[in-house]
Amino acid sequence: MKPLDLAKKLRREAAFDPAALDRGKAALMAAIRQDIQPRRRQTIVPQIPYLDVSAALSFLQRAFGFREISAARLLTADGAIDHAVLAFGDGVVGIGPQGHHGTISPRSSGIESQYISVYVDDVDAHYRRAVAAGARIAAGLGDYFWGDEGHRTYEALDLEGHRWRFHQWLRQTP
Amino acid sequence: MVSSSSDAEVIGRSLDEPEVFGLIYDRHAATLLRFLGRRIGAEVAEGLAGELFRIAFERRKTFDVSRASALPWLYGIGSNLLLKHRRTEARRLRASARVAAAGEAADRRASAAALDARLLFPRAADAIEALPDGEREALLLFGWEDLSYQAVAEALELPIGTVRSRLNRARAQLRELLDPGGKRRVRPR
Repeated sequence: MKPLDLAKKLRREAAFDPAALDRGKAALMAAIRQDIQPRRRQTIVPQIPYLDVSAALSFLQRAFGFREISAARLLTADGAIDHAVLAFGDGVVGIGPQGHHGTISPRSSGIESQYISVYVDDVDAHYRRAVAAGARIAAGLGDYFWGDEGHRTYEALDLEGHRWRFHQWLRQTP
Repeated sequence: MVSSSSDAEVIGRSLDEPEVFGLIYDRHAATLLRFLGRRIGAEVAEGLAGELFRIAFERRKTFDVSRASALPWLYGIGSNLLLKHRRTEARRLRASARVAAAGEAADRRASAAALDARLLFPRAADAIEALPDGEREALLLFGWEDLSYQAVAEALELPIGTVRSRLNRARAQLRELLDPGGKRRVRPR
């Protein structure tokens, strides 16, 4: 007997439940759907252009607490990020290189054409985190009320000058 | 159509359309389930196969698309996962040795060879268990799964020369058991 044949003598098949394969498929597809669900659920997704997409991706997570949906990331042939999706709460934004679909970064244009409002649970903590990560503060924290409702808000600029307003809902106590 | 595409093409498409990755499961799950089952038994293998495919899905961007088949890559993920189940694996291998020895005894009743098998197979199980992880994995992928040197190299992310030398060392350990008249240099455990 050859050494390899001796090893083969110890090879023994396991007895599987015939349904094991189907169960595995169902579990995998459920995991895949869960992974892409946040992307599927949104009906409006702002797409934000950057000169340095990779730096923006890192900054938005570090400074603002966004989380990348990594399964949604697309790369160019040379490995650069072509598109990435970031989730926060039940909202998502897409980011990509300037020039796609006619977009331009404020760093190039010198002006923002819109701002994005984001609702957070604790805007003071969010503010401290953003400042610590190097966000530029365009407007400091303040309370704004209309009727018996209002929010506590600050406004930040990201690395390339996109404008973000972060709000925490407040209810005026009588 | 996707169903006639290579694994690399399917995985490439699954970056955009994640559900397409289900096709990789359809193609290879049975093979990998059997692989894991031989090593750790059906029950643990089913859970581990689920983990294997979830990890593969999450890491699909890192798949080297110059390789047409994803099977060695999937084997490699499985081999890594098996490292966490060494005790289960050792138990099953010893049990398999007993089953194999009993089968041999039934085949050739009371022959000298059958007596040998009762001693030889458990020793072989011990010898395989005593191999360094990398050598055992190369041996079992090559010997049990019938992977080529190239496929083992892809699975373990090693140069092919390293696979050859690991297999040679593993074979040498087993050869000593088969050659009792020869020099006995079983590696101390």
